Parts: sequence; C-alpha cells; structure tokens
Amino acid sequence: MKKYNSVREFYNFMLSVSQEQKPDIPCIVISAGTCGQANGASDIARIIKRHVLEHNLHGRLSLRITGCLGNCQMEPFILIEPEDIIYPNLKADDVPQLVDAVINGRVAEDKLYYDPYSMKRCHAIKDIPFFRYQQSVILEKNQKVDPVRITDYFKTGGYSAFVKALFDSDADRIIVDEVTKSELRGRGGAGFPTGLKWKLTKEQGGGSAEKFLICNADEGDPGAYMDRSILEGNPHSILEGMLLGAMAMKATRGIVYARSEYPLAIKHLTIALRQAKEYGLLGKNILGTGLDFDISIIKGAGSFVCGEETALIRSVEGKMGQPRQRPPFPVKKGVWGYPTCINNVETFANIPVIINETAENYIKTGIEKNRGTKIFSLVGKIRNTGLVEVPLGTKIRKVVYDIGGGHPENKKIKAIQTGGPSGGCIPEKLFDLSIDYESLSQAGSIMGSGGMIVMDEETCMVDVAKYFADFLRDESCGKCSVCREGTQRMHEILTNITEGKGKIEDLQLLEELGNAVKDASMCGLGQTAANPLLSTLRYFKDEFIDHIIKKKCTAGTCQEIISSSCQYNCPIDTEAPVYISYIAKKKYKEALEIIKKDNPFASVVARVCHHPCERRCKANESGDAISIRNLKRFVTDFGLKNKLLLHVLPPKQKIDIKVAIIGSGPAGLSCGFTLAEKGYNVTIFEKHSVIGGMLSLAIPEYRLPQKILKADLDYIKSIGLDIQTNKSLGKDFNLDLLFKKNYKAVFIATGAYKSMNLGIQGENSNGVIHGIKLLTDIKLGKEVNIGKRVAVVGGGNSAVDAARSILRLGKSDSVTIFYRRTIAEMPAFKEEIEAASDEGIKIEFLTSPCKIISDKGKIKACEFIRMELGEPDESGRRRPVPVKHSEFIVNVDTLVVSVGEQPDTSFLQEEKIEFTKWGTIKINDETFTTNRHGVFAGGDLVTGPNTVIDAISAGKIAAESIQQFLTGKEVKRKYKLTRPSVYVKPIELSEKEQEQLFEAKRPKIIQHCAKDRKYDFFVIEKTLTEKQAEKEAKRCLRCDIMTKEGREFVEKDKIV
Amino acid sequence: MPNIKIDGINIEAPKNWTVLDAAKFLGLEIPSLCYDPGLTAGGNCRLCIVEIRESGRSKIVSSCTYPVQEGLEVFTASKRVVNARKIIIELLVAQCPTSKTLQDLAAKMGVKKVRFMPKWDKCIYCGLCVRMCEEQMTGKAIGFTNRGYNLKITTPFDVTSEDCRRCGGCIYICPVCMARCEGTQPSEVLCGRCENSLQPTCLDIFDNYTCWMGLKGDCGTCITEKDGNNNDLREVKKNN
Repeated sequence: MKKYNSVREFYNFMLSVSQEQKPDIPCIVISAGTCGQANGASDIARIIKRHVLEHNLHGRLSLRITGCLGNCQMEPFILIEPEDIIYPNLKADDVPQLVDAVINGRVAEDKLYYDPYSMKRCHAIKDIPFFRYQQSVILEKNQKVDPVRITDYFKTGGYSAFVKALFDSDADRIIVDEVTKSELRGRGGAGFPTGLKWKLTKEQGGGSAEKFLICNADEGDPGAYMDRSILEGNPHSILEGMLLGAMAMKATRGIVYARSEYPLAIKHLTIALRQAKEYGLLGKNILGTGLDFDISIIKGAGSFVCGEETALIRSVEGKMGQPRQRPPFPVKKGVWGYPTCINNVETFANIPVIINETAENYIKTGIEKNRGTKIFSLVGKIRNTGLVEVPLGTKIRKVVYDIGGGHPENKKIKAIQTGGPSGGCIPEKLFDLSIDYESLSQAGSIMGSGGMIVMDEETCMVDVAKYFADFLRDESCGKCSVCREGTQRMHEILTNITEGKGKIEDLQLLEELGNAVKDASMCGLGQTAANPLLSTLRYFKDEFIDHIIKKKCTAGTCQEIISSSCQYNCPIDTEAPVYISYIAKKKYKEALEIIKKDNPFASVVARVCHHPCERRCKANESGDAISIRNLKRFVTDFGLKNKLLLHVLPPKQKIDIKVAIIGSGPAGLSCGFTLAEKGYNVTIFEKHSVIGGMLSLAIPEYRLPQKILKADLDYIKSIGLDIQTNKSLGKDFNLDLLFKKNYKAVFIATGAYKSMNLGIQGENSNGVIHGIKLLTDIKLGKEVNIGKRVAVVGGGNSAVDAARSILRLGKSDSVTIFYRRTIAEMPAFKEEIEAASDEGIKIEFLTSPCKIISDKGKIKACEFIRMELGEPDESGRRRPVPVKHSEFIVNVDTLVVSVGEQPDTSFLQEEKIEFTKWGTIKINDETFTTNRHGVFAGGDLVTGPNTVIDAISAGKIAAESIQQFLTGKEVKRKYKLTRPSVYVKPIELSEKEQEQLFEAKRPKIIQHCAKDRKYDFFVIEKTLTEKQAEKEAKRCLRCDIMTKEGREFVEKDKIV
Repeated sequence: MPNIKIDGINIEAPKNWTVLDAAKFLGLEIPSLCYDPGLTAGGNCRLCIVEIRESGRSKIVSSCTYPVQEGLEVFTASKRVVNARKIIIELLVAQCPTSKTLQDLAAKMGVKKVRFMPKWDKCIYCGLCVRMCEEQMTGKAIGFTNRGYNLKITTPFDVTSEDCRRCGGCIYICPVCMARCEGTQPSEVLCGRCENSLQPTCLDIFDNYTCWMGLKGDCGTCITEKDGNNNDLREVKKNN
C-alpha cells in the first residue's frame, strides 16, 4: 500500500478502485458478525471454500464475508448477488447443493425464505416483509463491504465525502453548516443536536489548543447491538465520520471508546485504523494537507455508566468511571480539561451520508425535528428479531407487526420496552405512537440507543420493572446517594411485591421515590433510572395491585407468588405437586387425602375437568406437560377400588345455624359441603328429582359414568346434608319463607340451563330439539325421538356431547355439526372435538343456519349460509360474517340446537334481587354477595355456562363469605399466596430412571377404539396403570420447592 | 460578575462561586451533608439540590457544584426540591439511622416516618473522608471501590495502607461515625428528639452563643424533655 501525500493523487486512486470492472460472476455474501458466527456462519464459509476447492470452481463465483445485515432470525444465511436471493437458516448439508445452484444460475425454491403471511416463498431480499418495510441507509452498506477491505469501502463511495471536504478550503464551516441544516440529533439517546455540539466545540480553545473527538461505542443496553453491527460491518464509515468531525472542529485527537466485550468490533476497527494510516488518511499531515488527526481505541471495562459522557471522560483519563455534574460541559472541559466532543457511533455513521447527499436531501427522510433514519434492535417475543432501520417518525405498530411480523405464536403482544434500562414500557394501546424523541419521552420512555424489547401476555410487568431495577442498582456508579440508594430501594420494594409481600402504600412510595430519583440524580443514568418503574406503574398499575392484594401474577412468572403453576392455576387451589409427589412415592392414600381436602368432587373432576393446571406446566417447556388430570383419576379410581375415603366424618361440633342452598349442582353442593364441614346446618333444595345438576343431567355417560358421580355424591352426602328434591324456588317456596323459617343465609346456584334459540324461521317445527334437553332425556333414560339425518348447530361442549350421544343411540345414519367459525375459535375442548371426528362425526365450519324448511309442521331440511371471519369482536374472537349468495340446503330429520345456554332468572323476579342489564344476578365479584341481605349467588347462574371446576370454586368462595357473614365479620375475600400445605421430600431418581424420564413424553392412555366405542356409552379412556402413573409422577419438576420456603424445607431436610 | 437571582433576591456573585456559596452569602439555608468549605465539592449527597430555571426550562441540580452563571434563576425550596430532599433524607436515615447529623436533618425537614427497611449501615458513602484524606491530609490512603450496591470505601486491596498516617481526619469529618445518635431503637429508625423535643436546661437562655459548646444543647448533658408544642413526638414517647 502506498502512502498518499496529495489529495488529488488519492482521489484518482479511489476513482480507479471504484471504477474497476466487476467480473460477471455471482457473489455469495455471508454475514459473519458476532451473531452470525455464533450461529455457524464461519462453518458455512469454510464449507463453501472447501466445496469450491474440491470441485475446482475458481473464477465462477466470488465470496464476501461481511458484517451483520440485521436479520438475526435468518442466521446463518447466504445472500446471492446480483439478484439478492437469500437462503436463510442454513444447515451445513444444504450448502454444497446451493453453491452448485448458484453456479448454474438456478434458484433452490425450497430453501428460499417462507413468508407465513402471504404463504409464499420470497425470492429477492426486498420481497421479504422484514426488509421491504425498512428504509436502510446505514445498515445497507454492510452487505457491500467486507470490513477488513478498505477497497470495498471505496467502492461504495467511501471516503468520497472526506476527500470532497479536503478539496474545499472552507470545509470546516461547510461541514458544521451542513450537519446543522440536516437537523441530525445524537443517536446515543438524548437527542442533542449534533450541529450545535460541533459548533460549540469548534468555537472552543481559539484553534490552537488540543481538542478531543470521542466516538462513544460503549453500548451497554441489554438487547441492543446496533452500534456493534456498524463497528463490525463497516468500521471505515465511523472513521470517515470522525475525520469529517475533526476537520470541522479542528480536533487533534480521536478516541473510540469501545466495550471490551466486542472483540470482533475492536479487531475490525484496529484493522481499519491501520489501513487508513497506511494510505495516509490518518496521522500527521493527512494526504499532504497539513491536517493532523489520529484515532486510538480505548477499551471500556464494561460498566454501563461509562456510556454517560462525563463518566466516559473519567474512564478515558484512567480514573474510576463516575460522572460529575455538568456544567462545565465536556465541550468546554473534557478529557484532561481539553474541549471534547463526544458522539455516538451511529451519529458518526450518519455524517458521511449527510455530506454526500447534502443536508437538503437528508432532511427529506423522517419528520420535523427528527430527521434521518434510526436503527433499532427488535428483540423479545417477536417473529423477526433483528436490526431494523426505519425513518424517525415511523409508527411502533409498523415496526412490531409489519417488520417484526408480530408474535411468533400469534399471542397477544402486551407492550414494548424502548431505550433499554433507561427507557420505559409502552403498552399495546399506544402502538400508534410515532417513534421520535419527543413522543417517546412524553409516553414516559426514551429513544435511548434504540433497543426495543417486545413483551407478550406471559411477561409480568412487575417482574420487568424489577429486572431493570436490579440491573440499575448494580450499574449505578454509587456516587450520588439518591441514585444508589433509590435503585436499591426500588428493587427491594419490587422484590417484595413479586414475592406477594407488598403493601398497597408501596405504590405511592414507589412513585414518590421514582420521581425523586428522576429529579435529583446527578447524571443521565440516575435521571432515567426510574423510567422502567414509572412507566410500568403508569400503564400497568392493575398488575401491581393484583400482585399486592389478590396475590395474583397474571403472567404467571413470579415464582414466589405462584409457587407451582398447576396449583396456582387451579380455581380451587388443588395441591397438585403434593399429590403427584405422593403418587411417585406410591403413597396413594395420602395423595387422595390431599385431593379430597380441597375438592369434594374428586372423581368427577378427575374425568371432566378442562385441566387448567396442565396449561402452564413447566415440563411443557422441554417436553409434554405432566398429565395431571390422569394422575388424579388414577388416585381417585384407586380410592374407589380399595374403598378409601368413601365417606367423611361429620363435624364434631354442630353449629345450630340454618343455611339454605338452592340448586344441587357442583356450586351448590360444594358450598353446602364446605359449610357442613364447619358444622352448619345445611339444607339443599333441588328442583329435579336427582341431585348433581348438570353433572347428573347433561354430561354423557361415556364421559362421566353414573357410578362415579354417585360415589362423589355419596361422599358429599355423608357429611350430613338435608337434601330436599322436587322443591323449586318460586313455586314451592320463596326467599321470604326461607328467612321466616329461620334460615340465616341463602346461596342461590341454580345454574344456566335455559337453551338459547337460533332466532330463525321455522324453529318451532317438530324435530328441532335443544341440546341440553336431549342430553337430559338421554341421561334420565327417557325415550328420545331422533331421525336418520341429524344436524347439530353449535360449537360448544354441549353441541359435541349431543352429537356424540346421538351417534351412540344408533338410530341415525349421519351426524353433522355445523359451526359458524373455524376450529380455532371452537369453544369445545380440543380432545372432545378430535374424539368426535374420530368417531365419524362430520364438522362443517363457517356455516350458519338461516331457515328451517318444514313440511306439515315437521322439519324437512335446513338452509345454511357460508360465513367468513371478519374483525375481532369484544371476546377477541373474529366475528363471522355471512358470505352473500352462498346459501345451500341440507336435508335433515332432526336438528339439534345447541348454541349456548343462559341462566333462567324468571323465578327470581319477585325476590327483591338486583339484576345486571344482561338479566343475570348482580353480585359482588369477590364475595358473591347480592344486594339482598343474607343472599348469595354463584356458579353458572352468574357467569353463564362455565366449567365444573369454576362452579366448585364459586361454591367454596361463597361458603367462605357466608361463614364470615354468619359469624358477624366483615364479608371480605381473603387472598393468600399459593403454597402447598405440606412439603414432600423430592424422590431421588436412579441414573437409569433419569435416562428414561429424559424423553419427557406423556403416557399413552389406552382408549376404547373409535370404531367400537361409538355404539355404546361406556367410558372411552382407561385409567393409567400403576406403573404408568408412577413414571409420570416422577417426571414432575416440583416447582413448589423452588420458592424460598420450599428451598428452606429441602435444605433442612438434608441436614436432618 | 454574573448576576443571579436566588429565591427572588438578586445577587452579583464572583465568577468562581457556586450557587451554594451565593445562597450562604445571602443567609439562605440549604441543607448539605457532603459539602465542606475546605474540600472540593462532590455533589454526592444531593441534599443541597436546588431548582434552576433557565430560558423556560427547569432542572434540579446540586448547588454545591453548580457555578453561578449570568441570568440564572434559583429556587432553593420549591415543592419539587423539598419533596426530593425529603425522600433523600428518608433514604439516608434508613441506610444509617445511627447518625445524629442525619437524624437532625430529617427532623428539620419534617420527615415523620421512614418507610424503608432500616439497613443499619455504618457509612453513607458521601465521600467526605476520601476527599479529606486526599486533599487536606495528602494521604490518598482510602478511596471508593466497586459500584452500585457493592460500593464501599476502603484502602487499596482492603489491606492496611502504608500511606495512612492515622491522622484521624477521615473520622473527624465523617457525618456518621463522629456524631452518633443513641436515641434510635431498631423498631423506630427515626429519632429526631434533639431537634424536636429536647432543649438544654442548664441555662435559662440558650443558643449557639450562650451554650458553652455552641451546640444548642446537642451535647446531651443538660437536656430534658421540652414542655409544650411538639405534641406528636411526646405521644410517641408515651406509647413507648
């Protein structure tokens, strides 16, 4: 390399390099920044090289190893120039065939990027939504530049801005003017106008003193890495920006303050500096112009606060990285007292663009006061993670949904955290906010260096605030009291809240503390340290209150609150981890005791529960969730077989207070049972001749056999309940009479069994039956009139139950379910739907009945219409919209209408009870009290059709309220932390067992095969065998001993 | 000389003065903890914060490090300032309840309750001792190590320093270990009796000049409970 001593000579050399003819061969680009290398980009490069050597393909393709292009989700990938075809997520085996395809000019269709939205494969990089919506100015160059080749940078027009400036004698003024006119603002986060800073620095020192120009590459935000990608991918652009700055401000020494955690960036920068020096672009007398400027690299030791300019200056001086208060500002008194200008990496990368394009063109991008583009690093719960470059003023929604592609599993996105630990959380409802310095700061966040962390429903916002408080209490320099103590106290209080030990006054304190830290801190770190806390408090206060009062963490992440997610998610607090660990130890009786402690309907629930416990099971993250319901069924069946706990002993002490319960469904019975356990004198009134409500009347035999139900009902009755059947409220008695008869409290739980109508023509025809009535008739053994061709309308559990029951009656040839939405929206349990299809029931989605055609009062056919999904309604499901002229007629003999049930409150109209506008009873959500003194209500009657376990839960909560009411206490729901009543010592697994359990699969349950089972009402699923149950129970990860209390137990146990 | 306005009073202050200097000159009281006229100002304790309004913008800065500038408008006790100060003193008292200096400041500022868990630390990291050692005693035997919640003041590598001459300057200037408050009990955290309810009885008239120690009775030898006005503290006492 030649050292140039004249600008003209160097300019000619640059021209000759950039005008070099490119050979007409394809070029493979491999992105090998730190991120690419971690994903195996180096291996891909090695394989390509070996393939080329082995097959003698020299001269037929070229290879360029570049820095990061921003699309992290696709790493490792290769990009084929000139067409810009991208092959993402490569495996080593695919590479040779792709290289061959490139040489032969073919496109390997099946390896192209697949866009899940348009459901197409994308050829060119610009077809991919992730790139299509970006406007890349800075990052784009990374594709064209091999960071260790200065000539690559020349070819992209590099250093031309600098050379252009060197030709001009008035360059310093022009550069400062252009930068000022471009309205460029500091990309480090605070957004100070760069032009102004440069002007101030220029005016300092009278031109003779030393001046420093520092590039701040101390990028410390968790999850932000745009500066690294520029340093790694295009280091010369930073050097050019700094050279222009040095010219403008007459700076004599340049420093790049980089993190030592960025070894590749430092390596590339060192190479770039050497190259620039060799060409005479740096050092004394640059290109013979008499300009002196040299750049050195200083490695920071990784303290977050050293990104703050005054702390950075101290760190450069070799002192402890602690900030000081400004003024004096660094432009007046910086490194060793000399005027110092500090700019961010991205700011410097923008300078050559401004000089080349001119400021007039530059300000065309972005919005007022916020010009140009900004790179963001989009991470978290998002489909396309990576670096995103968009003009300032772009909407957050566009970045998250169009570019980021939304949630990877299409869950709901809750918030976005911008600006790293100094920024705040912006909720989804504000996603139409424009990304600019002012809007973000008004929303309680900051632009920061550009980190964006996307959060979904499974992220607890209190936990997020706690995480950042933890980060900051560690990274605070500790110099000023309010930041050091404040961040520690924030963390302390937030930890208390996430552990369920918070007090409601804490919220006020947090707010006061946050504002004090924001106001009174010395430096930028402290002044923004409260942002994560204050913004989450501002937008997600409900979550804080839930944690404090209800001991509830909606996202299910705060370990100390939820203990184990199976127990936490159970509405009646069943101690699943305890009985599972008893099963693992073969202590079945103890396991049964634990189950029956909380649940009088143990056997029923073990069969028909929709098992919310399994939904968030930790084992699900690495394999299958533990089959908790089947384990419970194993224990309850074991109990029935061995006659364990079939009865319960009546309470020793009787309390002579009478309580009436109306309705003997799961809600009524569990309420009565709980009260009777305490000794109250409970009377249950039931309208029908049998007790059990929907359990007895609607759930088909094949799901819940009569003898199982009877066992549970016997168990409940054994506590001593006065049960009066065929007694109907409103007909046989009323509430006044009950109170007159000395009943002190009444619990109404009459359920929701009134079937809803379709509201179409001909609904009164003979042959149209309601689902629940049909199920009841079948269950009670009444004769039901079913035709050959049956249509069931509806998508809930009762529709599926009705269809399957009809099939079992054996009178019909075909049974079809018609549902107006798709399977994804169907409310019936997934396993029930699958089982129905297995048995040969057809399900027609997106169809809705519009007319019933009858002949002499008897149904003949039904007219349906096709639907399509429109906008989401208030339930979050997409609303079905009819497709015009898509009506079709289906001949049916029987039409079962099962489009939902609602509570029947007609018999309560005279009882002085307040109703909601939907006609249901108005209750206090927490205590289940109604407006009438001593009257409580709960279960399906209040909520509409719901699950069994929720009804039991309602009964138990009401029982607690009633008890408080009867003892004269204030009726108030008590919330407590989820904890097991006993800790069971974890079992020790042998090595062989560990290996076996490693596969982490659920046991296969023996099922009555679909071909045979559809003719009878026998139970389909068999109980687990003892061996299966033991193996499954051993698989439990025992989240309950992960809490502090649990760990203490384990520790103590070890010592003993 | 720059002309500045503090709490509505105009003052022409010498160029090398800080806002705190100017306020003291005017007799305005700004509480401070880590400021000492003989040492460089650090701005660590943040108690001397004041609100500054410049061209429509307001910000809060520590007055001990803020140089006077032409046209500056300073408010030493705006609501924002007072609220922040109260939280700061609350934080400091919770950190180190045994410091009489802190307890007195808390009482003066009207802090009635400490809502944070007391730490019973022995240091508030104000850095006075470090500056004392370096600047007045030219010892440089102690300094800060670590950061954040691990911050501490110690000798290099935690071993006895050869630069230390045992002059005791660090102890002399320490607001925590020199004047200890013996009043606080683990359950109370906040004491403030010296400021609020106890006055010297050894003299009929007592102030900084008549008390032979110039301590307003802070020595504790001659104090008993004061009659009258401060009711709530008396109540607390009765309850105990």
